[in-house]
Amino acid sequence: MFRLDADPALLRETEEQRQLRSVLREFLAQTCGPEEVRKQAGSPRGHDEVLWHRLAGEIGVHGLAVPEEYGGAGGTFAELAVAMEETGRVLCPAPLLSTVVLAGHTLLDSGDRRACARWLPGIADGTLTATVAGFPQPGGVTAERGAGGWVLRGGADFVPDGAGADLLLVVARAPDGERLFACEPDPATCERTARRVLDPTRRQALVRFRGAPAEPVGEPQRAPDTVAGVLDAARAALAAEHVGGSAHALDAVLAHVGQRTQFGRPIGSFQAVKHRLADLLVEVEGARSAAAYASACLAGRRTDELPVAASAAAVACTAAYRLATAEYVQLHGGIGFTWEHPAHLYLRRARADEALFGTGDDHRLRLAGLLGLTGRIG
Amino acid sequence: MDGIPGPDEFRAQARSWLRTVAPARATHQEWGRGDDSVAVFENWTEDEERAHTERTRAWERTRHDQGWGALSWPAEYGGRELPAHYEQLYRAEESAFDVPRRTEIFPVTQQLVAPALRIWGTPEQKRRLLRPLLRTDELACQLFSETEAGSDLAAVRTRAVREDDGWRLNGHKIWTSGARVATWGVAVCRTDPEVPKHTGITVFLVRMDAPGVTVRPIRQMTGGSSFNEVYLDDVFVPDTDRLGPVGEGWRVALTVLAAERLDSGGLGLDNADRALDLARHLPRPLNDGERQQAADLFVRALVQRLIAVRVTSALAAGRAPGAEASVGKLHATATMRATTDLVQQLLGPRLAADTGEWGTFAWTEHLLGAPGYRIAGGSDEIQRNILAERVLRLPKEPKGAGR
Repeated sequence: MFRLDADPALLRETEEQRQLRSVLREFLAQTCGPEEVRKQAGSPRGHDEVLWHRLAGEIGVHGLAVPEEYGGAGGTFAELAVAMEETGRVLCPAPLLSTVVLAGHTLLDSGDRRACARWLPGIADGTLTATVAGFPQPGGVTAERGAGGWVLRGGADFVPDGAGADLLLVVARAPDGERLFACEPDPATCERTARRVLDPTRRQALVRFRGAPAEPVGEPQRAPDTVAGVLDAARAALAAEHVGGSAHALDAVLAHVGQRTQFGRPIGSFQAVKHRLADLLVEVEGARSAAAYASACLAGRRTDELPVAASAAAVACTAAYRLATAEYVQLHGGIGFTWEHPAHLYLRRARADEALFGTGDDHRLRLAGLLGLTGRIG
Repeated sequence: MDGIPGPDEFRAQARSWLRTVAPARATHQEWGRGDDSVAVFENWTEDEERAHTERTRAWERTRHDQGWGALSWPAEYGGRELPAHYEQLYRAEESAFDVPRRTEIFPVTQQLVAPALRIWGTPEQKRRLLRPLLRTDELACQLFSETEAGSDLAAVRTRAVREDDGWRLNGHKIWTSGARVATWGVAVCRTDPEVPKHTGITVFLVRMDAPGVTVRPIRQMTGGSSFNEVYLDDVFVPDTDRLGPVGEGWRVALTVLAAERLDSGGLGLDNADRALDLARHLPRPLNDGERQQAADLFVRALVQRLIAVRVTSALAAGRAPGAEASVGKLHATATMRATTDLVQQLLGPRLAADTGEWGTFAWTEHLLGAPGYRIAGGSDEIQRNILAERVLRLPKEPKGAGR
């Protein structure tokens, strides 16, 4: 049975992490205000490439959790989680989740040193964008060995930042089972169609492979474990983002209800409003705790605990983000329902993210299985 | 003791000491056997309460005398001046041993009243009382609420009138746990009815065996009695037993209430774990909805524990805990309700009628006790006001008529 034996040091933010947080918050305040975010999201690539390079070069966000031998800072997932929380707080549309978390961790977890040496330095220095296809549900892509090497056929949908990424890491069915492949897409053999999306700050695409050349990554038997580990890392990263987004929503609502006056009083002095915000604070603090634990499991390589921690974080953080974004709209009244107000962008992010790696209820079912909360079967 | 042991070293030391004084708790209690009580409030007779209190007191004295009580306190009070979070480290180790479960009067005495006395007491009071309180030779209860002063505690009407060398107390307190076994009561009294309500209050330490003190148990909705009414009829209190300055009693009371909030973060976790065990052992497969409900309770309990770890972590780093310390009680009462809801779903009719089966109808004790904690120790509504006004800094509610 799962039993939490957490050392108080486990969830403590280090001095380096605190500094990173304050540097990033200031940097993003200057570069990713609500108007800039809309502009970046509406640009051809869906994000600002200058900002992307500054994040990688000036702050080193991309390489935080990449080992030094591959051009990174050799930090842990806990530092990366700080970056995800801060970029999530402003809805920065840079494709960090796809490039750094999903593709970066797929390369690292694959154990394929050659593939790591080839692509991780580009991820760390910001010259390469990448994503994964066929996560979490594989099945649509097959791989076969032709005269000139491996080629991919079939399609993968809902690929995060799939239309623009320079590198695709694909789960495909090979004759000897499920395997991971790396594909540098060429329009001649790989057709990519951007989907119309609920969340404009995080794009998705349908990717069709028509005999696209690809290289295997990692040992054949290892692919399912790699995918499972990467998905849990992605859940922990999303959880950190959700904490950032929820905390922003709470801050924005607090500012509004403190100055908005109705019936001759600031609306924040009404108990009906105060109690809802108190409840939101309880949820956000719970989410923050669950996200910190999932990050700590990745940072400390507590792999036995990770599946439970990642799903628990997904449950707590999706619930908090749902509530925070609903209250973000509601407690702003009419202005919160307008196109111009940023509240809906957060609501869009919260709901679209749940579709990526499992809703709260999906994770509750998974936890029940992991923890044996199933009654006696048979 | 030389220097401060590291956390791991300290825990190892605690473990090896505990092995010399207490039997290990069965690591995994066998399902379907043993005690199936999940009472939130004990339904004891006075004799049972006294007997249990004596067993616990004996254990607390052993702990204190052998250097494992009062861990964070200075040596003059029997402590070792360890960082505050070492108490939690010790408790984590102690939970693996079969020692008497501390009923409410013990944390009230050691975690609420003793620290308040350390802040507000005179040097003479500290010399006289701190060590006996920490060693639980003396047990202190709270004489706070009144029938007309519940959430609005500052509306207390119990009067304390000055006499030559002391005070004469008259009034009626309610919802006091442990009053039958306490030797002292911490009484919030009105000493000046002419000034605004928060400024006319003074706190006194009242001997519970003083002439004029009458304790009457209240029967609560569980059927048993954990709380009492306490009548104060012309009770004399010497001025040397006044806690804090005259007219500063509201601040003294707030010190106690703040400690109470901090102390409530672990509420409900044992029973949540027990309900999850029920979900594992129920003799039929759970449907998807039931699995999700059980998993949701697991996440609630995990998060509640993680919040406590963050509080400890802040204390360990020498920082005052932030919002995470204030959300604990609201989180705990929600956990308790979610526990009831899961058990309701899993047990069905066995929760409503006693079939004699182990671990079924016993859950009615939880079902009926849990609502009490949404009211006691600052109701859920007052906790939300505190979060909104003190943590989120929202504007205060306009005051109603009266002072």
